[in-house]
Parts: sequence; C-alpha cells; structure tokens
Amino acid sequence: MSSSAAPAHLLPLTSSTASRRRNSSATASVSRLHSPNSIVQPNLPSVAVSASLQNPKPSKSPPFLLNYLISPKSLGPCAASCILFHLAKPVFSGSGTIFNLGGGGGGGGGGGAGGGGGGGGGSDGGQGGGFWSRIFSPAAIAKDDEPQQEWDTHGLPANIVVQLNKLSGFKKYKVSEILFLDRRRGSTVGTEDSFFEMVSLRPGGIYNKAQLQKELETLATCGMFEKVDLETKTNPDGTISITIPFLESTWQSADRFRCINVGLMPQSKPIEMDPDMTEKERLEYYRSQEKDYRRRIERSRPCLLPIAVQREILQMLRQQGKVSARLLQRIRDRVQQWYHENGYACAQVVNFGNLNTKEVVCEVVEGDITQLVIQFQDKLGNTCEGNTQFPVIKRELPKQLRQGQVFNIEAGKQALRNINSLALFSNIEVNPRPDEKNEGGIIVEVKLKELEQKSAEVSTEWSIVPGRGGRPTLASIQPGGTVSFEHRNIKGLNRSLLGSVTTSNFLNPQDDLAFKLEYVHPYLDGVYNPRNRTFRASCFNSRKLSPVFTGGPGIEEVPPIWVDRAGVKANITENFTRQSKFTYGLVMEEITTRDESSHIAANGQRVLPSGGVSADGPPTTLSGTGVDRMAFLQANITRDNTKFLNGAIVGERNVFQLDQGLGIGSKFPFFNRHQLTVTRFLQLKQVEEGAGKPPPPVLVLHGHYGGCVGDLPSYDAFTLGGPYSVRGYNMGELGAARNILELAAELRIPIRNTHVYVFAEHGNDLGSSKDVKGNPTEVYRRVGHGSSYGVGAKLGLVRAEYAVDQNSGTGAVFFRFGERF
Amino acid sequence: MAGQLVKEWTAIQQFPAATQEKLVDLLGKLKSQNVDTLTILVMGKGGVGKSSTVNSVIGERVVTVSAFQSETPRPVMVSRSRSGFTLNIIDTPGLVEGGYVSGQVLDTIKSFLGRLLLTKTIDVLLYVDRLDSYRVDDLDKQVVQAITDSFGKEIWHKAIAVLTHAQLSPPDTLSYVEFFSKRSESLLKCIRQGARISKRDAQNFAIPVALVENSGRCNKNEGDEKILPTGTPWIPNLVQTITGLALNGKGGIVIDQKLIEGPNANDRGKLFIPLILALQYLFVIKPIQKRIKDDVARETRPSWA
Repeated sequence: MSSSAAPAHLLPLTSSTASRRRNSSATASVSRLHSPNSIVQPNLPSVAVSASLQNPKPSKSPPFLLNYLISPKSLGPCAASCILFHLAKPVFSGSGTIFNLGGGGGGGGGGGAGGGGGGGGGSDGGQGGGFWSRIFSPAAIAKDDEPQQEWDTHGLPANIVVQLNKLSGFKKYKVSEILFLDRRRGSTVGTEDSFFEMVSLRPGGIYNKAQLQKELETLATCGMFEKVDLETKTNPDGTISITIPFLESTWQSADRFRCINVGLMPQSKPIEMDPDMTEKERLEYYRSQEKDYRRRIERSRPCLLPIAVQREILQMLRQQGKVSARLLQRIRDRVQQWYHENGYACAQVVNFGNLNTKEVVCEVVEGDITQLVIQFQDKLGNTCEGNTQFPVIKRELPKQLRQGQVFNIEAGKQALRNINSLALFSNIEVNPRPDEKNEGGIIVEVKLKELEQKSAEVSTEWSIVPGRGGRPTLASIQPGGTVSFEHRNIKGLNRSLLGSVTTSNFLNPQDDLAFKLEYVHPYLDGVYNPRNRTFRASCFNSRKLSPVFTGGPGIEEVPPIWVDRAGVKANITENFTRQSKFTYGLVMEEITTRDESSHIAANGQRVLPSGGVSADGPPTTLSGTGVDRMAFLQANITRDNTKFLNGAIVGERNVFQLDQGLGIGSKFPFFNRHQLTVTRFLQLKQVEEGAGKPPPPVLVLHGHYGGCVGDLPSYDAFTLGGPYSVRGYNMGELGAARNILELAAELRIPIRNTHVYVFAEHGNDLGSSKDVKGNPTEVYRRVGHGSSYGVGAKLGLVRAEYAVDQNSGTGAVFFRFGERF
Repeated sequence: MAGQLVKEWTAIQQFPAATQEKLVDLLGKLKSQNVDTLTILVMGKGGVGKSSTVNSVIGERVVTVSAFQSETPRPVMVSRSRSGFTLNIIDTPGLVEGGYVSGQVLDTIKSFLGRLLLTKTIDVLLYVDRLDSYRVDDLDKQVVQAITDSFGKEIWHKAIAVLTHAQLSPPDTLSYVEFFSKRSESLLKCIRQGARISKRDAQNFAIPVALVENSGRCNKNEGDEKILPTGTPWIPNLVQTITGLALNGKGGIVIDQKLIEGPNANDRGKLFIPLILALQYLFVIKPIQKRIKDDVARETRPSWA
C-alpha cells in the first residue's frame, strides 16, 4: 500500500491545537495529518483481494507520485480507488453481462492520466508525450539511475519476437517500450489511451517472467478485452519491447442509463461455469443470472447522481453507438468525478451490469456509513476511557455523518470544525474506514485526545514604568502577571470554571488587581435538546479610563478619571447560528470613580483659565459620592449573517443592546439605556466564489444610535470620537452625551491580497450633551459633533489610515489593530 | 444668609439728605408690606458697569472695579441691613467670555446662589447694559436667552433693564429723550426676543427701564443728588423702580436645586420607561429575532447537506 496515497483517502481531518485555550477564537484549522501511518493500519486487514491484484498496482511507480503532486484533481479519484481496491471483489465473469472494473482495473484507474503520462515519458519516441516527458524526465532519469545494474540482458538475438512462456524465469528483463495493438483496427493506440492505466508495467521498468505473466492474467480477467496477449520483442541493447495485441470487449449499443447504489449489498458472486455444460444448461445459466441481476437492481437503492449528470452520460452512450470497454471507463470516470467533486470521497463505481440489454447499469458503492465510533485516546495514542460524554460530541456532528448516510468529506470537515470549537480536545481526527463486516460500508471514526481537565498557569511580566523625569529606573521595574486556573469539562458536559487574577505589580497588588471568576454551563436545556443555551455566571472587576473626562481639541490636559467596576453577572446566551445570538441576564456592580492618584473622586476636575485645578467638574457618579451600586438587566441580541466571500466580508450585522435599570442601588437608578447598531456590507460586484478568486469591492454602511432615558451617570454616557466611533478623533474627543448618532460609510477596494478603503464618518450628540449631569461635553470644551474622512489600507491585521478631522481640518496617520466594523 | 456677616447699612448716611429721605421712605414702604429682605441679582455683559452700579446703590466701594480687566472673577454678594430690613445685592461676572456666552460663568453664578441663598428668592433682576451702545446684536440676545434658560422666563417679571452711562450727549439729530426711548425700545425688543416673550405676552412682561450714571462727574442737583440729563435724581429713581417691582405681586424666583442644576434630565421620561421597554421588546428585539430565523431558513446549505 502506497503511503503517498494514504492520507488522501483517509481524510486527514486533523486538528491539533496546542495553544487553543489561549486563543479560543481561533478558527478550526484543518490540517493534513502528520503521521499517516497510524491511519493506514486499520485498512490493511480489510484487503480482501488476492495479492496478485494488489501487487502490480501502479501507484508504486514514481510517475504516479508526481502526478499526484502536479494535478490535485486526480488526488480524490486516485485515493478513492485505493479504497475500492479493498472493497471491491473482482468478478471474473465469463458471461459478458457483468463487466468488472473493480480490482486491478479500478486500482489502475486511480493512476489516471499519470499512468499514461508516465508511460509516454519513458518511451523514447513517445507520441504526444512531449509535455509529460518534460515534466517527468527528471523522475525518469532518477529512476533509471538506481536500478541500472539490476537487470539482465535477454541474451537473445535482437529483433525477434519471443513468446512469453519462452522467456527465462530467472532473468530480470528491462522493458524499454510498451505498445498496445488494437487488432480490430490493426494499429497501436496512443499512450494517452486509457488502456495504459490498465497495466502496471512501465517503460524502463524491470520485471521477471512471473510478473509479466501475472500482468497478462490481470489484463485477461479484467473484462476489458475479449482477447489479449503479451508479446515481447528483443532489442539490440538487451532490453525488451512489449506489445500487447488485444481485442476490445464491446457490447450492444445502449440507450438507457441507470445508476444504482449497491453499497452494503453482497457483490454479485460469479458462479463458476462448468465448461462441460450443454447448450441448454448454459442458456439456463444465463437466464438465472439475468434474473438474479434484475432482482439485484430492484433491491438496490437509488443513488445520489443528479439527473443532469445521468443525462450527460446518456448522451455519451448515444453518441458512441456500440458500448465499448473504453466508453465504460469514461463513464466510470465521469460518475466518480461527480462524486468526488461533491465530497463523496468514498464513492466508487464497482461494476457495470446488464450490458447487452440496451441498458447500462452503473453500480456504485457510495460509501454508506454503517457505524459512527467515537474514541478517546490518551497521550500515547492508546484508546482510553474519555471524560467527555458522548452526547456532547454527537450534537456537534452533522446529520450527514450519522449512520445510514453517505459519507461526505465536507461533513467530516464540518464535524472537525464543530468539535474543535468545543475547545475540549488537543487532537481531533475524523476518519472513514471501510467496514469489514459490511461490504461497501464505512465506519466513521472520531478519535479525540482530551485536554487536561484542570490546569493552572502563572505568567509573569516585568513592565518598566516611567519613573522620575520619564526615565525608566531600576526601582520602578515591577513584577506583574497573571495567575489563572481552569477546571474544564466538569462532569464531561463541557461545564467549566475559570478564574484569573492579573496585576501589573505583584509587590503592591492593591493598586490594580483585575480578577475574573467565571462558571460556564452549556446545554442548559439538556444535552439532547437542540436548543443551544448557555448559562454563565461571573464575578469580575475592571478598570478603565473614562472617555467622558477627556478634553476637546486645544484643551491640554484634563485630569483623568478611572472607572472601576466590580460585581457579579449572570446571563443566558442562546445561540441561533454561529454568529447570531441572544443574551440576557442580570448585572450587579459597584462602580467607583477614582482620580489619578487612586483617590475616590466624586467630581471631575477641570483646569481653570488661571491654570489652577478645581474639583467642581461634572459629577462622576449618580450618587455624587464617587461610589455607585446598581443592579440592572442586560440584554443583547445580535443578528449576524456576514460571511467571507473570497476574503471580503459581505452581509449584515444588527446589534441591539439594552440595559434596563431596576431602581435598585444608590439613588435608586432607574433607566433604560439602549443602543442599536446596524452594519451592512454591500457587495458591489458579483464575483465567482472560490479559492484564489478576487474578492468583490464592498461598501460598508454603518449606523449606531445610543440613547438613555432616566438616570444616567457620567460613566454610562455615550462618548463620541475614537477609532470605533468617529475616526480621526481621540476617544471621547467629540463629547459625551445622552443620545448619540454615528453614521459611517466605507468603500473597500480589493488590491492583491488586501484592500484599500476610503471612509467618511459623522458623530452627533443630537443636542443631548446638556442632558448629562454637569455637561461634561461643555466643561471640557468639546463640540458635541464632528465628521471625518480619510483613506486607509489593510496590512495584515493592522489598519494604516490617514484621517482628516473636520473640526480642525487637520489630518493624521493612525495605525490600528483589528476592524472598525 | 448663614455665615454671611450682615453689616449695618451705614453708607446710607453718606447719601445726600434728599436721597436718604427717599430711600428710607421706600424701605419703610417695603417693610409695611411685610417685605424685610430684598435680594437683587445683577447680571449683564462684561464691562457694562454692573459692579459700579452696585457700589453706587450701596453708597460705598464694596466691589472692586477696574477699568480694563474682567473685574469680577466670581459672584459677590453684598448684604446690608437697616432697621430690620436686609438688602442683598449679588454682583456677578460678565456673562460673555471670548465672544460667547459662558455657560461656565452661569454655572458658577448658579452654584453660588445655591450655596448662599438656597430656598430664598431672587426679588429683582437688574439686567445691565450701556445706554451709549448704539445697536443690539445677536450676542445680547444670547445673553438674555442664557439667563432665561437658567432662571426661567418668569425672571423677566422681576427684571429691570438698567442702562448705564446715562450721561451722554445723543447724536445731533436726536434729543436725549428720543434717543433714550429708541435705545430702551431696542433693548426691550432684544430682551423679548431672547426670552421668547411673544408680542401678546408683552403686556404681561412690562420691563421697566432705569437709567444709571456711576461716573464721579455725574451732574448733581442743588440737593447734591446725582441727576440724569433729564434732571431726575437716579438713585432714588432706581430704588423706587426696584421697590415697585418687588411689590408688583408676582412672586420672586425661588432658588432651589432644580434652578441651580438646571432641569434634571435624569428625571425626564422616567415614567415612560416601562412603555419604552415594551416597545423595544415588540419592535426591536422581536423583529431581529424573526430576521435571525429567516437567516437560518435561508442559509445556503452545502451541496452535501
């Protein structure tokens, strides 16, 4: 078994995630399996074909390998035919009603054009092999080098025809040329002819007599030929030329075509024909066989092949007239091509039946799934008992992977991605494997390596903070970092508990200590319920610089206000699709506002014209004390049907977020704070979808409305300006208001692998700045509205843009990470 | 007036006898109407003579006046009492800063009022401008508007338009009286516009105009009283107008939390929140949910599915 072909037909759906936990948002990467050997093994015991058939498989020859690399299209078929090789039992039919393409024929067919091409390259004066020979010549040379001394000269006079059985059984002959001679036409067939796939012999190869005889036997039994022979001719240089005179099998012309799925059905057994049968017995025999066959058709299931393709094949049949072996080969290739193009990697044409009856019946083993096996592996790859409960994995598997469905490689990939998104496994494999007990059946194996259930991590970093005079001093090097722990997959139901503590200074952690403790409980409605709701409870704190207390243009320094939030949150997220979801829950938090020196600040500070600082700026909290406590309901519904079209995002995203105060907390805060974001990515040109195709130009339209009715503390006011609000301004530079409206348009034009864009944005406080207590917009001399426009380019993850703000009329270059929309 | 030391109004004795007599008479009139406190708020653009007017009325130099600087950095309250009657005059900084009405100054005024006079009333507003400015412009209107926004339209029931620099020689073609009536008319018109007083309402808001001349070179009559070019002594005249206004039956402007902090936007619409919430659920969340459902239904399935 060639290992080169193995990864292809075994579906190397593997995903190794070494650092998944850190980057949980990373999309599932489907990579080729690194060690194909481990997957090849399960196939070996299932070889039910006589060794003689397996041996001369052409896939061993280097040209095959090269072809495999050069034309990826043939990858699927060639791989699949390897599967077939094990599945199909050759039918040595003498009746002529059953034409067998399995076994050697199928296996050889996998080589496809590669086989033929290789032949052409090797032959000295190969007709039409120019192209191939150019490509293959290095390989051919390499091949010639090695076995040079390993062959024997024929030791006979040159240019005589020698019968096969006259050859010496002890010699290794070098074959310099192979020719197929069509007896009917009396001419040799070109090297590109499909017959060349039938033989495993290659020009330049070295074979002994037994091998040549076996080859002939294969040809004689494959059903393609009515009569076939193998003649050798001695050459002056000690090599031999092989000529294969043949009579191609032909049958009556047909005007009907039928494709049936014979998977899981016993292959039609050839009954040895007694050579001593009388004419009557023989007739009887044929009749019974025809009857059997009719019954077989009746029992078979309809196949997936669409009408359009069937019609196409019918056309082929009609044009041809007589049904020849080569036509059947072409039909087989076409049918298999459709299956493989559509992901049915295990589908295989195994037989053509009912020949000579005006109808061609194409028997396909589509690759029905007979069993789905989920296995857990330990670190060494041994099967072990897993912690994860099966329903958790099963609900991630697409329907198409269930028992009774036809195996599809895309469904396998989907399963891989879905399972990967659970973030429970370090290694995932989805392998189809032939079912030994059920011919034509496929067992889908899902092999999983679980991640450690409990993990703890400490990461430290030293940040050098500016000391006196802005210079980093030794004394100011602080050890900081994160301590985190995680208990994953509790009860095997993907529940998890995780906590982390981060500080920038372990020596003085009270300065800034961020902690988070979260419990996640998926499958709230039960693991069998298709409704996908997840319960989350968390305990958190955060510290952010308030953009409300930011100066407008020209204001040098506004003393900053830090907003510390600490509290608990409990919510339920219902996922409708991968991107659309609805979250609702309760938040209880304590908000503390602090000034630069971490003292609680009840009011913002402002710089007086005289240069002094007065602390009678806008109040920072609702209570007026600098500490607020409140409980509110939070809901967020996201509708997102965006998708990547050749790398460009198209679609629509709507987000509505609502914070509903309950009147519980300091000063009984009762409010309704709402935000609606609408973003549309309009595709401006229809483009063909596919890898390597250019993305369309996209117009992005974006609108964001935020408003609040009721109590609005300054830290909850909506701020205008910033990279995610109005570009070209600093965070909050335009104002802080009760109601805001932001509008943006961006035109993205693809260039090479990336895109450039132009944009225009506007943000407006709708005159509601004065409705924020203390009017921070006015106190810090901000305009309350502003527009900007600019151009930019996406360089990998970084956006480089030049934005002109229209309030001052000046432009600046910005570098930003991530997407604006 | 907690914490504020109320001085005896001794300076009243420096006024000429006729003025004294008149003032005492007017105060007695107020007392007889059970008004024992009078709070006067003085506002206007910068450099029009607000502080000087205050000094003139009190009769002593209580507020520093400088010719060129923005003279009053923050509001100052001068309180004087005489025989059980208290007069409070609040001098304020000019409302115009850098060509714009300064909200910040207004805020300081309001917070100043909040600190000193919470729950008390403003009985009279002196809106000060110069007689010798020939035209009114948009800025005047804005100043009036800012005052109206802060204290409410009602304050103009209690307002006197005070024209300083009254001693001037009018342009050749006009007599003093004509000039005065033209100037006061245009100022009142500006006030009416700025305060958004409709023509129909104009009768209700009869804003008296008083003339003031703070200069030391002010003409005086035989009783040594400062007189206007028309011959009337202006201090008793002004106080009389103030008294008249204080007793005009309209309530003063009560200084409360709402006035100081402006209208509380946090309370606006609170009652409607349950309704808003219901509408949001029905007309935002539900439609989005429906569209998600549509998306799910419309999702292009891969060929194998």
